[in-house]
Parts: sequence; structure tokens; C-alpha cells
Amino acid sequence: MPPEASPSVPLAVSRRGLLSAAAVAVGAAVASPLLSACGSKGSGGPGTTGKNELQRALPSYLPNHSVTADVPSVTGANGAISDPCFLKYPASPVTTVSGAVGSGGSYTTMTPLWGAIPPSAGNKYYDAVNKAIGATLKLQPSDGNTYGNILPPVFAADKLPDWIMIPGWLNVQLNLGEAMGTKFADLTPYLAGDKVKQYPNLANVPAAAWAAGVWNGKLYGIPTYPSAAVFNGAYFYRKDLLDKLGVSTAELKSADDLFNLGKELTHASSGVWAFDDLFGQSAAYASQLFQFTNHWTADSAGKLIYKYETDQIVEALNWQVKIVKAGYMHPDAVANTNQNGKQRFWSGKVYFEVDGTGAWNGSDAQSGTAANPGYNRQALPLMAADGKSTPTIELGNGAAMFSYLNKKLSDAQIKECLAIANYFAAPYGSAEWLKVNFGDEGVDYTMVDGNPVLTSAGNKEVATTYQFLACPPAATTVSNGFTQVAKDYATWQGQAVARAVKPLFYDMNIAEPSQYSSINKPVDDTIDDVRFGRKPISAFTDAVATWRKQGGDALRTFYDGIRDKYGTGQ
Amino acid sequence: MSAIIEDGAVPGASREAARADTVPAKRRTGWRIRIRRDRSLLIMTVPAVVLLLVFTYVPMLGVITSFQSYDIYQGFLHSPWVGIANFTNLFGDTLFWHSFANTLVISAVQLVLYFPIPIVLAVLLNSVMNGKVRSFVQSVVYLPHFFSWVLVVTIFQEMLGGAGAVNMVLRRHGLGTWNVMTDPATFKYLVTAQAVWKEAGWGIIVFLAALAAIDQALYEAAAADGANRWRRLWHITLPGMRGVIVLMLVLRLGNALTVGFEQMLVQRQAVGRDAAEVLDTFTYYYGVVNNHFSYGAAAGLFKGVLSLVLVLAANKLAHAFGEDGLFRK
Repeated sequence: MPPEASPSVPLAVSRRGLLSAAAVAVGAAVASPLLSACGSKGSGGPGTTGKNELQRALPSYLPNHSVTADVPSVTGANGAISDPCFLKYPASPVTTVSGAVGSGGSYTTMTPLWGAIPPSAGNKYYDAVNKAIGATLKLQPSDGNTYGNILPPVFAADKLPDWIMIPGWLNVQLNLGEAMGTKFADLTPYLAGDKVKQYPNLANVPAAAWAAGVWNGKLYGIPTYPSAAVFNGAYFYRKDLLDKLGVSTAELKSADDLFNLGKELTHASSGVWAFDDLFGQSAAYASQLFQFTNHWTADSAGKLIYKYETDQIVEALNWQVKIVKAGYMHPDAVANTNQNGKQRFWSGKVYFEVDGTGAWNGSDAQSGTAANPGYNRQALPLMAADGKSTPTIELGNGAAMFSYLNKKLSDAQIKECLAIANYFAAPYGSAEWLKVNFGDEGVDYTMVDGNPVLTSAGNKEVATTYQFLACPPAATTVSNGFTQVAKDYATWQGQAVARAVKPLFYDMNIAEPSQYSSINKPVDDTIDDVRFGRKPISAFTDAVATWRKQGGDALRTFYDGIRDKYGTGQ
Repeated sequence: MSAIIEDGAVPGASREAARADTVPAKRRTGWRIRIRRDRSLLIMTVPAVVLLLVFTYVPMLGVITSFQSYDIYQGFLHSPWVGIANFTNLFGDTLFWHSFANTLVISAVQLVLYFPIPIVLAVLLNSVMNGKVRSFVQSVVYLPHFFSWVLVVTIFQEMLGGAGAVNMVLRRHGLGTWNVMTDPATFKYLVTAQAVWKEAGWGIIVFLAALAAIDQALYEAAAADGANRWRRLWHITLPGMRGVIVLMLVLRLGNALTVGFEQMLVQRQAVGRDAAEVLDTFTYYYGVVNNHFSYGAAAGLFKGVLSLVLVLAANKLAHAFGEDGLFRK
């Protein structure tokens, strides 16, 4: 994935996270007093942090506005702000870091990578960045899809690198709260309040992003891809193909409208179906259309209910199964092979699909136009399934992924790493940003029409690596020369932020008792059975009843406790 | 399936055993003398023994986690002991028993539908006289063994899936379609078919070796006595292969609870948990993925113990029929 696509990376990633992490969207965990039974010996407090205490741990926010966005951020509802969009890289990039960055240290790192792992030996991009930071970071990117499965052995063997990135959706699975203060270094003394001023680029990262890196009142995580417009995904369609058929999406107002379009668009004998998956693993995407939260929510009486217990998820399942039974969904999507979903969309075998917002960028346009020159991906404006209510969209945490420094590092080493993080966090438009994302000009990239484009060497050597340790607030940028794609995405995001709502426990690190970490799996399996028509809807209600007994009700009590003590992060 | 590969060396071993028959049995020899006599053979086995110890026996110590509530931050040494709690939970878990039942059913189907195929193939191939044709056919049927399961499943999906080649032809001719790739009811036959496609060719190696060991003079003598092709097959070929067939059967039974982890993992999403959850995927999803290592270890240990019982029972059965089985009595 070329780095210019980077603003969207976490979103693409968060989709996968949802696929595997059973949509535990709220951060992670340390045992609270309620669950001292589960034996956490970590930093010893409730992972959650009260509001006042949080303010003491958070770094000050000193925004940097040195580069003016071509499409400025839109301030939406509930603190959501769309990412600024830049159409041309400044001709003379500003320098944001002066003097030596590192002091020649050498550090091991570990980051996930969703894509081909570049060669480490003789990688000129790595060499260029390491030279610029005056230190050696030994990069060890690992396959992002299995990242959650290799981390437990890494912890168990105590083979942690000096600097590691851990996506927030793995927090519960890893019971990560236990690692805070025992494995990872407390960064509060270095960054809290005005101390962050020594690292001006880190000070440019907003507080909402830092908040989910705070555990028990102390700051541990460095946010990556901070954004005030983190959304799960969108309903996408092939505008070019629909235009050809004279089908307009303007009349699409409800889930039923979408279903009705299925008959018109499906031509199975030509190998074309109207829809790919429209639901997402564990309702990750259908939750927006059917207007339920992906985690806990309060019913009208104030009782906490989980998404499984909402009426809307049943409606969503019925809708999805109706599409499958009518034969409007591509058979491979019914086989749940969503890893090939993009190919089906690119090659025009389906007209509609759901995907993470990160799917909408210049690399996608490049792959799409390779299959089909007129390729045009567009997202449907937000809609509510019933066609009447005002649609909303759930706002994700201020950052979905965090990097952590090893506790074994000395004070001087931590300072060196933070200085390096400061370099990586240089904002779009700076000389440092180009270096971190593209390496050296003429080697790994060239400027084409005012934007950096990777050379063929760059395509092999450059990957999202350093950015997963620290990076500036997300920006929508032109990738592979597809200016219109950046504009379209910025427009959609600008409209979506107006509909943003904060879910309960927004931006809070909450320690779920680890013994319940697998109770969602049987329900999610049953959801798949139901939505693909293998089992009746009653199987789902039965599975939810079992889920309640196996720990769902206990979790409700647990979250009630959190709500009483710490609020809901609104 | 891996058992079949490992046993490439077995025919040699059985010949070794046959040779040993001619030596007066049970001659009491001191162990020093025996070691000296077999010195070079023993040295040759050392690397294999070391590999086995390091990569199989040492990791086995990990089963202690099944008696702990293992915590990745505290390691083996500091994780609390919980006795047999993991096993009590496991045995009360309907999902576990469901995966156990699935494993047995798939294993039984594979035993009946898969096991005889390499034997038949080997006999057929052995009757091909033309050396070039024979090696060509051999190469063709071996090849799928080297494909990964992901690739095999993709090929099946492209051919037999709902949008695959076969169904597209049916659809164009206005005929009904059948998406066998997402049909939970026939999943056990689908996985068996895939196993046959991928592994049957490779499985014939060991049987071909057994066939090669049959004395050709027996055939000539039988032919001279007027035995036709079928009589020769029945009285010479099959008895000649019997030892190897029984051995493979014993190994297969010992592996009855291993029905292909990757194959299931790749296809579980297409047919759902009820059809595709086997012991290995259960251990993976409820042990590894959700960080309940102790629970997964308990399921793994249960499977290991049961497999040991199975292999010993099958071996006993082999002895009862007068065959060598895994080892001579």
C-alpha cells in the first residue's frame, strides 16, 4: 500500500480488525475492582481513567496550520471533524524539525503490514529514513492479518521489541492493560501537559487521539493515524456501471430500495450480481444502515444492551437473508470469501459492496481502472434502513492504533525515541513527511503533477512501516495521481461528520474480564449461518440467549459499573 | 495426510523386518554388543531423534498450561494452577462435542472413500508397462500434493462454486445450479473429494514401493500355472501389499482426529461452524485466537490422549490379524 494512501490505512485496517476481533470497538483492559477475580497483576488499576485524571495525563494540543488545505476540514457533530484534503504537495516543503533527531541509537521495532513485506537488506527507503533520523530502527513488519495471533507468543516469550505497534482492536484479546507499566513505558513524565512542547509535531496530535492511549491515568500509547473522523465504512457502488445502465442512486432512500434494485441489476447468467456482501462481519457495516451501535448502547429505559440484543440487528439479518435467498448476492460473497471482494468490485461482477472507508483511495482507483478504464467508486450518502429517520454514523476512537515503548528502555533512550516519533509525526506539507512516507526523491519517488509518486523501486521498497510508530493527524491526499478520488472522499467525509454520534464509552480504555473474550464467537458464527440462509433467525435468538448466560449479562453488570464510576465518554 | 508422507521409508523397514525373520529369533545378546553391532545405524538415527526431541517432545511440555489459567504476561512459571477446571469446562461445552462429532464423521467418510483410492491407483499404475507413460501419469497425480490448501480450495471454488465454471455453464443453458462449496449438508464429501484430488496421487508412493518388493518370479510361476490376471491380483499382489496396507490403516486410525486443519480453516466461513468445526479449528478459535491458551491446550491434550489410544488399539488389531502393524511384538 503506497504511503500516500496512508490516511485511509487505519480504516481499512479497522475493517479487518472488526472481522477478527468481534467488534470490540472500545479499547482495552485492566482489571477493575469488579473483576479482581480475573487476576490482573498489571498496573493494578481499572484501565479506565476518570475525566479529571485524564486531563492531567494528556499532552497539550498545539495545532500546526502551516499548510492550508485545498478542501478544509468540516466540523461536524459531536466533535467529529473531517480530515483536511490536499490536492498538491507544497512546492517548497517546510522543515518542522531542526537539528539532530536521534543520537545514533539502535532500536528493534514490530509493526503490522497489510501488504507485501519489503526486503530489509539493501532497502534504500529504510536507509534514507534511518539516516534522516540519525538512529537505526530495525523494522520487522509482520503480516497484519495474523498479527493478533503472533503477539501472544511474543509476550509469553518476553521477546518484546523496543518499540511496538498494537492495534486497539486487539486490546481485549491481549488483555493489554496488564502490559501497561509492566512491559510498556509510562510516557506521562515526558509528554503530559506542556512537556509535549519539546516535541511540537506530537503536540499537533489532538487530545482525543491521545485519550485512548491513557491507561489508569497514565499515558502509554503514541497514537497512529489520529483522526476525528474514524468511521467503520460505507456502502460503495460502481457509478460508471450504474450510469451506463441509466440507474441513479438518488432515489435510493431505504434498505428496501436497495433490495429492489437487486432484481434489475442481477444477471447471473452473465456472471453479474447486484451485490457483494452488504453486512460485514458481526454486522460491522449493516449497523450503520440499520442504525445500531457496534457495541453497547442504552435502551430507552437506560438499560445497557449489546448490539446482539437490538431489534435492528434482527431487521438487518432479515434484510440480508432476503437478498441472499433472492439470488442478488454474488455466490462467492455468499461463500463469505470477502478477501476477494475487491476483485469482484473492480472487475464489475458486482455493483454494490461495503468496505472500510480506507478502500476509497488512489491505489483502489489504480487497480479498478486497470480492470476497467472507466472505473468510478462512489459511496452512498448515509441513509437509514427505514428511509425515514435521520441517519447517523458511529464515530470511532480518536486513533485506532497505538505504539508503545518497552519499559526496559532507559530515560535517554525513551527521549531519543520520542524525538524520532516527533519526526515521524511531521505534518503533511513538510519535508519530513515526504522523507518518512517516500524516502529520497529520484530514488523511491518522483514528483508528478505536484504530487509524489513512487518509482518502480519505491513500489518494492516503500511500505507503511514507520508510520505505524507515530504519524501526524490524518489528511486526505492525492495518491497515484487520482485527484478526483481525493476530492470525492473529502466531500463524503465532510457530509458524514455532520451525522456523527459518539457511541457509549467513546475513547475509553475498558478492561473487559478476559474470561468472556470468546463468548462473541459462537454468536458471530450463528450470525453468518443466518445471514447466508443456512439457519433460521430463531437460531440467532437462541445463540443470544446462550451468550447472555455465558457472560453477556455479567458484562452488562461490568459496564454498568464503568458507567456509574467513569461515565460514558460523551 | 501427513502420515502418508512420513511413511515413505516404511517399505524398507518392513523388508528389514522380513530379513530379521531369517535370523534365529530371541538370541540373547548383551546391550553393549548390540550397540556396538548397530553403531553406525544408531548414529544415523541421532539427527532424527534430536529433531523429534527438540521440536516434538520439548514443546509437549506446554501441556502443563492445560492445568493452569495461563496468562501471557506471567508465563508458565507464574500462571495460577487451576487443576482440571479447563477439562470440566471443556467437557461441558456443547461446541466442543459438536466439533468432536464432526471430526469423527469426516474421518469416517475419509476412511471409507479416500483410503482405498491410492491402493487402487497404485495397482493400476503398476500394471502400466510403458515406463514413459507411467512416469508421466505419476508426475501428474503427484503434482496437486504440492499445492497449498488455499490454492486447492480456490481451484474448487473457481470450478464448482456458485459463480464457478460448472455452474456458469449450467446457468447459461437454463439449468439448475448447485453451489456445492456452500452446502453444509455435503461438506464432508466435498472435503474428501478435495483430499482425494490433492493427496491420492502422493499416497500411492508407499504402495508402489510395496508392489516393487513383490518377487516377480511369483507372477511368472502363477502365469505358468494358468492363473489369470485377477487370480494373480488376488493371490499375489494383494497379499504382497497387505502388510503395508495394514500399517497405513493403523497410522490412519491413529490420525483419525486430525482431518486437515488448513482445509477446514479456509472453508469454515463458506459452510459455517456446524459443518466445518473440527477439533483443530475449535482449538484454534477458542484457544489461540481468543487468547485462552489453557482451554485450547486442554482440547489438544484430550485429542492427543485419544489418538494414542486409537493408534495402540489399531496396532493391537493388526497383531491380532497376524500383521506387524507399527512394531513387532
